[in-house]
Amino acid sequence: MNHESGVDNAQRPCKSAKDELVRIGRPSTEFPGGLPGADQSPEGNTRRDFLSLMGFTVAAAGLTGCRAPVQYAVPQVAGSDQMVPGVSNWYATTCGGCPSACSLLVKQRDGRPIKIEGNGESPLFGPGTCATGQATVLSLYDGERLRGPLWKGKPTKWAEIDRQVLDSLTAAGKTGRAVVLLSGTLTSPSTLEIVANWTRRQPNFRHVVYDAVSLSALRAANAESFGRKAIPHYAFDKARVIVGLEADFLGTWLSPVEFARQYAASRRSGEDFRLHAQFESGLSVTGSKADVRVPVAPSDMGAVAVALLRRIARKAGIADVPAGPEPRADPAILDAVAEQLWRHRGESLVVSGVADKSVQVVVNALNAFLGNIGKTVDLAHPSLQRSGDDQAMAELVDQMNRGEVHTLLLYGVNPGYDYADAARFLKGFEKLALSVSFSDRRDETSSHTDAICPDHHFLEAWGDAEPVDSNFSLAQPTIAPLFDTRAAQESLLKWIGNDSDYYVWLRTHWRQQMFPRQKELPDFDTFWDRSLQAGVVALTPKAGSDVPAFHGPYNSAARAIIDARREGQYEILLYESVPMRDGRNANNPWLQELPDPITKVTWGNFAAVSPKLAKQLGVTDGDVISLQTETAQVQLPVVVQPGQESRTIAVALGYGRKLVGKAGRDVGVNAYPLTAIRDGLRRYSAANVVVKTTGRRENLASTQTHFSMEGRPIALETTLQELHNEPEAETESMPTLWGERPQGEHLWGMAIDMNACTGCSACVIACQAENNVPVVGKDQVQRTRIMHWIRLDHYYIGSEDNPRSVHQPMMCQHCGNAPCETVCPVLATTTSSEGLNTQVYNRCVGTRYCANNCPYKVRRFNFYNYTQNSDFDFNMESPLGRMVLNPDVVVRTRGVMEKCSLCVQRIQLAKNGALQGKRELADGDIMTACQQACPTQAIVFGDLKDSGSRVSKLHRDRRFYRVLEDLGTRPNVGYLKTLRYPLEPA
Amino acid sequence: MIIAAVILAFACGTGLVAWELSRVGIHQGYAPIQPIAFPHKVHAGDYKIPCLYCHYAARTSRHAGIPPESVCMNCHSLLEKQTAEIEKLIEAVQQQRPIRWVKVHNLPDFVYFNHSQHVVSGVACQECHGPVQDMDRVRQDRPLTMGWCLDCHREHAHLPTASIRRSLLALKQKPKPAAGLDCASCHY
Repeated sequence: MNHESGVDNAQRPCKSAKDELVRIGRPSTEFPGGLPGADQSPEGNTRRDFLSLMGFTVAAAGLTGCRAPVQYAVPQVAGSDQMVPGVSNWYATTCGGCPSACSLLVKQRDGRPIKIEGNGESPLFGPGTCATGQATVLSLYDGERLRGPLWKGKPTKWAEIDRQVLDSLTAAGKTGRAVVLLSGTLTSPSTLEIVANWTRRQPNFRHVVYDAVSLSALRAANAESFGRKAIPHYAFDKARVIVGLEADFLGTWLSPVEFARQYAASRRSGEDFRLHAQFESGLSVTGSKADVRVPVAPSDMGAVAVALLRRIARKAGIADVPAGPEPRADPAILDAVAEQLWRHRGESLVVSGVADKSVQVVVNALNAFLGNIGKTVDLAHPSLQRSGDDQAMAELVDQMNRGEVHTLLLYGVNPGYDYADAARFLKGFEKLALSVSFSDRRDETSSHTDAICPDHHFLEAWGDAEPVDSNFSLAQPTIAPLFDTRAAQESLLKWIGNDSDYYVWLRTHWRQQMFPRQKELPDFDTFWDRSLQAGVVALTPKAGSDVPAFHGPYNSAARAIIDARREGQYEILLYESVPMRDGRNANNPWLQELPDPITKVTWGNFAAVSPKLAKQLGVTDGDVISLQTETAQVQLPVVVQPGQESRTIAVALGYGRKLVGKAGRDVGVNAYPLTAIRDGLRRYSAANVVVKTTGRRENLASTQTHFSMEGRPIALETTLQELHNEPEAETESMPTLWGERPQGEHLWGMAIDMNACTGCSACVIACQAENNVPVVGKDQVQRTRIMHWIRLDHYYIGSEDNPRSVHQPMMCQHCGNAPCETVCPVLATTTSSEGLNTQVYNRCVGTRYCANNCPYKVRRFNFYNYTQNSDFDFNMESPLGRMVLNPDVVVRTRGVMEKCSLCVQRIQLAKNGALQGKRELADGDIMTACQQACPTQAIVFGDLKDSGSRVSKLHRDRRFYRVLEDLGTRPNVGYLKTLRYPLEPA
Repeated sequence: MIIAAVILAFACGTGLVAWELSRVGIHQGYAPIQPIAFPHKVHAGDYKIPCLYCHYAARTSRHAGIPPESVCMNCHSLLEKQTAEIEKLIEAVQQQRPIRWVKVHNLPDFVYFNHSQHVVSGVACQECHGPVQDMDRVRQDRPLTMGWCLDCHREHAHLPTASIRRSLLALKQKPKPAAGLDCASCHY
């Protein structure tokens, strides 16, 4: 990794072309005759082979005759006014990509969903999405999904499985052994009602909730502190001071889409916001946005909480916080942060992701003393987005192994992969009479169950959700189920003797429970139709939800933290990465190829090691080290991570899956075994890790290897003070030799607010989905051939040990004086009359001079026919995977250059829409895919010729600038500088 | 003399080959046999059924679309006269089998053509499809080459001025948009 200390970059060499020539030399679907030049024998005359092959190919083309294939047009049998071929329909639904249950709008075309967007109607989530949400549309078309139910590994009929299960449940009732439903967090009220019915009907039934990455400690602490075992609904937009203790709330913690939106809203005001301080051991997306970031080891995080509590308690006049050693953090920073928190009490927020109950109790005390409860911490209407119970899960595993469980139903969980002691969990299956999984594929757990009753994908299913108390959303199918799957809820209903459709159950539930909570609409059918159309419904909150008071016990918690503090020589932190999260979407090639926002590594996880530790161990990027805790040992390649705490190694969870599909199999290393359970809670960090070098090396597949701007004005930052003091910068236009171009009605431009950008990468996947960008695989990424049209450049500024970070979305800048256009020998790229730099695929001959000349390096070349080459067997190779393609955008073939088009298909569609509607185009009619996906609305697109449009206003903003303006390219895409809020000393 | 004749023959031959090669990909005159011999001459010609009655998608979608069988049955379920061809249609409907029509007008994949833009702008169907109401079997009447498209686009490339546009909008008429001449109008 390169940064200002000038570390040599030779450790990430370019891959040699030789092994690639050998590989493509053999026959493949793209080159059936193989290719010349692959012959390794010294006698092979490659030039002659090449010429002979060329000659033969040309002659062959001539001989085949010039007939185009016959094409057919096959209309429907019965026409529908709902579905007109070529016109997209939008349906509101709820995301099932993770338990946060964000509200979505799904674009459906010709009967199938092809694009996911956020639902702007949602007061919680707004119009944005996250990278996982964007990618789940591809999971629908996953070839690994089971085609129907399996009984003992063999395909069977639903009736047969029902019979087996009903028999088993009757038997269970007689034996008195337990029947357990083990599920992930369920936010669906109608499903929870089904579970409640099970409790009433089935003897010895219980429901255990298990989250692979659990917030059990937070829930337990709230039960102790407030008498409510719940997760609060946090309001980052009401906070002027935010302190995070190992909580990646902008990246992966609890509800990142909502939090990112709130965070950007509060920072957008500029003048009101004061400070975001983050104490963390690794560099997370949230830490990269913080104004003050303090690297702290996991074992020290509790001490930080206690240290802050001591200071706040002193200011509040409370004297009984026990004394103890201070954490290894600058006391001046702790003083300053505490001062800011106190000054803005009632408008501040302290959150922690540490899986320790005492730490969470101390954090609760902090929020209580600061008067944040009921303001930024809402326990009256809690979040329901994580309800996993580590203790209950541990007890279940014990019970299973003692033979006390008769039937186990697994719904949305995969403990055979992600439990701390997966082997012990799977061993418990031996004593079960019946195990049933609702998984959609044969995975690490369901391959051991007697029955697999595959559930629908959420895009094929009915449902509802209550992510936050009294905020409801509905889910509706956007495609008829592709395979013989059945809603898990329907299976559950059937097995307690209720034969109704889940849809009927859902409607009944809403008629009985939700409809009475509103007064506006008199009849249920109208209420149902309106709710379904909008997707989100706000209902009057249930009575009796008042703000509970904090009742400690903070001093015993602080004492527990002080007593339990154990420093290790090396420590490990296990975290959810933005691309893979907990590993449930490992077979999604879009997510596997998504670069990690901090390190830009794809296709695998790694051990993030601080520069100090790397020097100490004598390792650098790619060197494999072995990490051993008391529970497991793993080997991972190193990534030198500036800002990483000096003796902590961070490893991402969600990798190393064995049974998920061909895209995700054996990608990375499974780090879940490194977690342990202590005091009934699952721990995601450990001290006393044994670290050893192995001498092996692995080639990382990263998309960015140089993280310093080398003093060039690329990603700029500023402070409020500087903005006020700086005179209006008169940027003089560089003189140009080019004449004036013919201008059209519009001048399309874009403004990107780097202050709002968190690096969440939703835009990258959105662009990939919208524009049919191919997946190229690990090998091609190692050869710098990743195809993403938009990338997020991550730059470090400052010292190696604790740098500041900037995330800069970089796509084609649509330069007025484009350097790429002047060098194209066939004029395949031109500037349109509306300022777009267009790429005409059919004209391109593949010289690649344009990519060479582009100073922003945003052009991508199709080195292979990624869509019809069996070596790139991702989504585009199969008819099922191709269903996700956007029919409005062409799929490019080998030899063609491509790049961001500012979603010209959306521009044209909007123009057509305005034409149809007999109105003018308005600002906001056109949203590029990246703009629409962004949860913080960092990207704004619009007409620069319209001086009232948002983008024009932003182009006149004080923070506005263009990247590499001195080159004279005159880009239409500009950026707004990041705002830093310096920490005032106490 | 003979040399001149040979040279002439050679030149003619080369010219012919060159012309043939330049017509590669142009399917003007393509009139494939359809699974059901549907006569536009009878429906659009004699009975003057509007194009957009059957090809309704052309108003709102990029595809004009071939009508689903239910559109045919709007009339044919009430008619008494049956021919062998109509019998084929009825059989397909009874078996709920869609009819595989042979597509006559095929543009390459790298071209984006949007019917609704043209229909709403007032371009008559016959401009590009020829006199379909006189055709027994549909044929591609025009070359559908890029140059041919551009002939029309160049002619209509003028923007209505802002004031003309405002007045037309005030009169509740649609202002005619400029036909795009940018590469990105059709190639993306």
